[in-house]
Amino acid sequence: MRLNLARVCRPQNLSRPLLAPTTPRRSYAFQAAGGPVFEVFNRRTKWLQKERAGADVERSREADYLKDEIASRVCERLLDIKRHFPRVLDLGANSCNIARALTQENPDPDPAMPISPPLSTKITELVAADSSETLLYRDAELPFNTSTDMTITRHVLADEESIPFGPASFDMVLSSMSMHWVNDLPGVLAQINNVLKPDCPFIGAMLGGDTLFELRTSLQLAEQERKGGMSPHVSPLADTRDVGGLLQKAGFKMLTVDVEDIIVDYPDSFALMQDLQAMGENNAILGREMGGLSRDVLIAADAIYHELHGNEDGTIPATFRIIHMIGWHESADQAKPLPRGSGDINLKDFFEKTK
Amino acid sequence: MQPKTRPIQRFAQAVGKCTPEATLYGKCVVADYNSIHKDKCAKEFLKLKDCYLAAAKAPK
Repeated sequence: MRLNLARVCRPQNLSRPLLAPTTPRRSYAFQAAGGPVFEVFNRRTKWLQKERAGADVERSREADYLKDEIASRVCERLLDIKRHFPRVLDLGANSCNIARALTQENPDPDPAMPISPPLSTKITELVAADSSETLLYRDAELPFNTSTDMTITRHVLADEESIPFGPASFDMVLSSMSMHWVNDLPGVLAQINNVLKPDCPFIGAMLGGDTLFELRTSLQLAEQERKGGMSPHVSPLADTRDVGGLLQKAGFKMLTVDVEDIIVDYPDSFALMQDLQAMGENNAILGREMGGLSRDVLIAADAIYHELHGNEDGTIPATFRIIHMIGWHESADQAKPLPRGSGDINLKDFFEKTK
Repeated sequence: MQPKTRPIQRFAQAVGKCTPEATLYGKCVVADYNSIHKDKCAKEFLKLKDCYLAAAKAPK
């Protein structure tokens, strides 16, 4: 009896635990040793999904609306920086959505102002780096590549989690819609900080928080009701408050973090899933159930999605929460907070006097 | 040549014909979703599935 118990207790049948620590590897020291780097996403699966998405040129161009929109919102933030950038890195470029947004005329549409030139006039060279070659070169023949003076260099990365560029080699790093697939977010942020020159910005956007919570909850309810258990179908995502801490930990200064929700309406949950697939944003969690969802679960999830979240007109909303982040590489001539205890005026007295 | 319809599109079309059954099933699940368990709404689901199977078989 005792023997049997011991055998039951030992987790020998778990072929792959949900969160497996990775094998040790060389990387920048961004935190004290000992903290294991957890692997949540299967990077190879993600790569395959992006390659597949990029191979179907027409479908993936149709589904680019979200990435184009977020890329243009990232680029809008450049309007606030009055500076010229000789060399810019676009990390996780997907199909060069940022390059396309940069070359568009009139980034700040204001009827009172004359049409402004595209933002790419501020940039000499844009290095677009992504691990998926097919997706990266998908639009290499389109006119936006040569329409302005900005040179677009495409660089295929072996792995998005190790940036193969030298320290202090870029005047800005942009990233849009790819960092939510990174396992080692603190490490990647530290590497980004490392490739930046002093007093140069990192401007990024990724999905986070409550992204796709409607799909997540409907699938959970459907699987629970049909199968009596559930497996992860929507990625765990970073929260807004985590991102600030991560940026700080990576050594960025003068941080800005803000959140935007984009809600897209779809006719049914299948259309949403098809579009996610065409974007290359399908599920790549390590602990996911292999194979597709069963038809029973799909039918059930669609019914629950409509009932729980559906709009009046029979469509369903899908929320994409975008976390925007800006951090600057440290420099001696940046504005810094004064040291603690250096204030001369007691704020309590000040406010009481002005009352 | 006619463009190829993906199986998922045919599937979505068939499911789309069963809105009344889907609403019934959805209402049953959502009514008390904090205490969901396996086969809580099996009866409603079978009706929905029967409808889907009929819709999938029917010629377009």
